[in-house]
Amino acid sequence: MMSKRIDLRGEICPYPMMKTVQALKKLGKEERELVVVIDHAPALETIPTQAERLGFSVEIKETGSPEWQITLTRK
Amino acid sequence: MQAQSGSLLPPASALNLGGPRAVRGALALAAAVAVYYFAAGNEVRMGTFWVLGLAFGFALQRSRFCFASAFRDIFLLRHGRTLKGVLVGLAVAAVGFSTLMARQVPNTALGVLPPDANVLPMGLHTIVGGVLFGFGMVIAGGCVSGSIYRMGEGYVASWVSFFGIILGVLGAAYTWNWWWEFQIEDGLRLWLPNLLGHGGALALTLAALAGLFVLTLWWESRAGVVVPDAPFQAEEEANFAARLRNLFKRIFVHGWTPLLGGAVLGGLNVVSFITERPWGFTGELSRWSIGISNSLGFGPGILKGVDALPGCTLELGDNGVLHFMLFLVLGMIYGSFLAAYFSGEFKIRIPKQRIRFVQAGGGGLIMGYGAGIAMGCTIGAFFSAIASLAVNGWVFAIFLAIGAWLGTQAIQRIP
Repeated sequence: MMSKRIDLRGEICPYPMMKTVQALKKLGKEERELVVVIDHAPALETIPTQAERLGFSVEIKETGSPEWQITLTRK
Repeated sequence: MQAQSGSLLPPASALNLGGPRAVRGALALAAAVAVYYFAAGNEVRMGTFWVLGLAFGFALQRSRFCFASAFRDIFLLRHGRTLKGVLVGLAVAAVGFSTLMARQVPNTALGVLPPDANVLPMGLHTIVGGVLFGFGMVIAGGCVSGSIYRMGEGYVASWVSFFGIILGVLGAAYTWNWWWEFQIEDGLRLWLPNLLGHGGALALTLAALAGLFVLTLWWESRAGVVVPDAPFQAEEEANFAARLRNLFKRIFVHGWTPLLGGAVLGGLNVVSFITERPWGFTGELSRWSIGISNSLGFGPGILKGVDALPGCTLELGDNGVLHFMLFLVLGMIYGSFLAAYFSGEFKIRIPKQRIRFVQAGGGGLIMGYGAGIAMGCTIGAFFSAIASLAVNGWVFAIFLAIGAWLGTQAIQRIP
């Protein structure tokens, strides 16, 4: 399974969400998964909403304080 | 939807106050107490406003209450999660303000205005200021209050925005006398109770807020967007200690909903008005940059009419360094820092792209100029103005929304 990873730590609002949406739209047909690393807490609400809209399931893992890894998988 | 990995830091780690973290936390709290005694020793009001600032900063951070996102997300994401919180906060503040103003001005038929309420002259400056402010806050990624609480969370870009805002209000000061003669001096100051009485003005304001709330629900359902509140991971409330831990977690670790944040901020705004004046701080920021530039000899000089205007109108800054409003601003930054620190959300965040610093500083400059001529930001000219039952708050809000829409178009074109 191919998977892509983007590191959006340090980004200001609302770019974590916007860049994730851009990356999801650019994902090739054979790519099933996108992993996003963020440290902007408000994006924990906006990224899942937008990802679900685009047909991706969401898994959030807290990997630091405060850092999260969001795995978005094509449904 | 939310998976936590056991081996890595779970959110509850923030409450495991053991070791150096507990020592640092205790020192941070002790510093807040020390500043209180220093401030209150100078003047009682300074101490009070330090505590109020801490409370505002704490509530802003806990609910991540961002006015920029309230206006922006209606367009960008087509949901009004934060906007609904703002509307609730306005309703709470309007009820409190109205009670207070009814005592200050018992007879509304005389056409007298309550001296400290944010009833401001309207004109082109309200429109231009609103559009510039709305545009600037979206470009910068936060309005003035948003930048202040994110400074406490460790966002370096927000410190740049803050610096931009301070310079922006100084820029507004250089053009103030022109705006004064052109628009502000003869601008209409419309206070709803003068037209409708206290009861009528409050009823109309609450009805308008309720109507906007329903309109937001309709807009969200049309777009089909659901933004659920993050689930609260409670432990089983088996005994008193567990219940207490859950309560602590809800307040200090788990993020507050925007509705709760709005209600608390609205309530704190009433406390601020009871103590001295409605919540607002761009006037104080202008006091810093105008004061410094005046003392260095390149200041804007005399600003016509500012002494007679309430709210966040520009201030000359000729009254020394210490001022109770200084403690409000510093308290907000520090209150947000404490909230972020104890919830494990503090982190120094530095954007990787240089353009973000340009956006933060430039957006701040634009916001600062807009707030300078409109006599307030999303707090002074909007949150505290609508609650003052003043028409200028609504006018500013409309143009704020237009500016935010323009800003939303712009940020989608910046990589």
